Amino acid sequence: LTTFLLDGKPISANDGETILQAAERHGVAIPHLCYTEACARWQLPRMRRRDQRRRCARAIMRPQTCRRHGSLSANDRALHSQRMVLELLLSDAASSGMRRADSELTEWCSKIGLTGSRFVGREQPAPDLSHPGIQVHLDACIQCTRCVRACREVQVNDVIGYAFRGSHAFPVFDLDDPMGASSCVACGECVQACPTGAILPKLPSYV
Amino acid sequence: VHNVETAFWMREILEQGAEKFAQSGVSGRKGKRYFSVSGRVAKPGVYLAPNGVTVRQLIDEYAGGMMSGHELYAYLPGGASGGILPASLADEPLDFDVLAQYGCFIGSAAIVVLSKQDSAKDAAVNLMQFFAHESCGKCTPCRAGTAKSVGLLQKEKWDLPLLNDLGVAMSDASICGLGQAAPNPVRCVERFFPEELNS
Repeated sequence: LTTFLLDGKPISANDGETILQAAERHGVAIPHLCYTEACARWQLPRMRRRDQRRRCARAIMRPQTCRRHGSLSANDRALHSQRMVLELLLSDAASSGMRRADSELTEWCSKIGLTGSRFVGREQPAPDLSHPGIQVHLDACIQCTRCVRACREVQVNDVIGYAFRGSHAFPVFDLDDPMGASSCVACGECVQACPTGAILPKLPSYV
Repeated sequence: VHNVETAFWMREILEQGAEKFAQSGVSGRKGKRYFSVSGRVAKPGVYLAPNGVTVRQLIDEYAGGMMSGHELYAYLPGGASGGILPASLADEPLDFDVLAQYGCFIGSAAIVVLSKQDSAKDAAVNLMQFFAHESCGKCTPCRAGTAKSVGLLQKEKWDLPLLNDLGVAMSDASICGLGQAAPNPVRCVERFFPEELNS
């Protein structure tokens, strides 16, 4: 058991628990989109050191407190980053709330009171409706790679990959094939994993 | 950091002793380093110089002076990420401690020299395009941050409050040094070349 300061208040963490998990257990909601419990079980023991900058991946090893950073406290800077990351995602994946009423992006934005973005949105990729059971609308994609990890690590199908670089980076099926022409076995794990409705069942309720 | 240059110097230090290596160096610095000098100089190239050397010495004593018809205006002390400094700071020793107070760093000692025919603002746009191209796309502050920055920098008038808001989050929240350092050139233009933003 380790005690650490979260927002200035001491809270206790179990051995091996991450900051995100400990905060959640104590009722503090830290916005997160790329983290899921299912992927974390697979991923945490394999995490490289530089990835530990991400709170979800950093196990609490020893008591830690907020560092001061110029005139703003580390905590203010962390909150600033949270908000900015959501604002960036919102500008590019504005269609997320339209695709799924329970979009996690929309949910986090409304929790922190973010209603719009000051940035110009990206050029959107075309929808992929080639699969009989699953529709792909990457205009709602936030590059969290939950679908990639669901396909590769949870189901061990390895059909979805993360291709290209920078703002061109998107999840792809096989070698960027249409989903219907790929080796996808339609297990639906990616549909379950997607937080924004970029990958959806082909049902009349999702258009 | 065990980079190639560190490994290269190890042999000489082991063979001849650390004291011999420490004998070179100016302005209280020790040792020597390879500096890559490019841009508006007469003889661009990689030059071996003592630690603590200034950019003016590198240009005049190593790189054959400025190209004819060009006058020193600004320089990048450490490659694309190390920031942009004005000619008025050309006599500062190129070292970590001195550059840190200007928000810059020497990095791999790749010096790029700009002349009065160049603009620091244009250089910052070019550098951000480079970072957007180089970003791997894994974390949002860098992937989206560099792309949005390019859009903001290509506008006639820079939206400095928004660029600063974005820059702080990129520096704090990017996973690796590429995104963390990408806002540096923009910050330097605002700090050292404000007249370019008024025109």
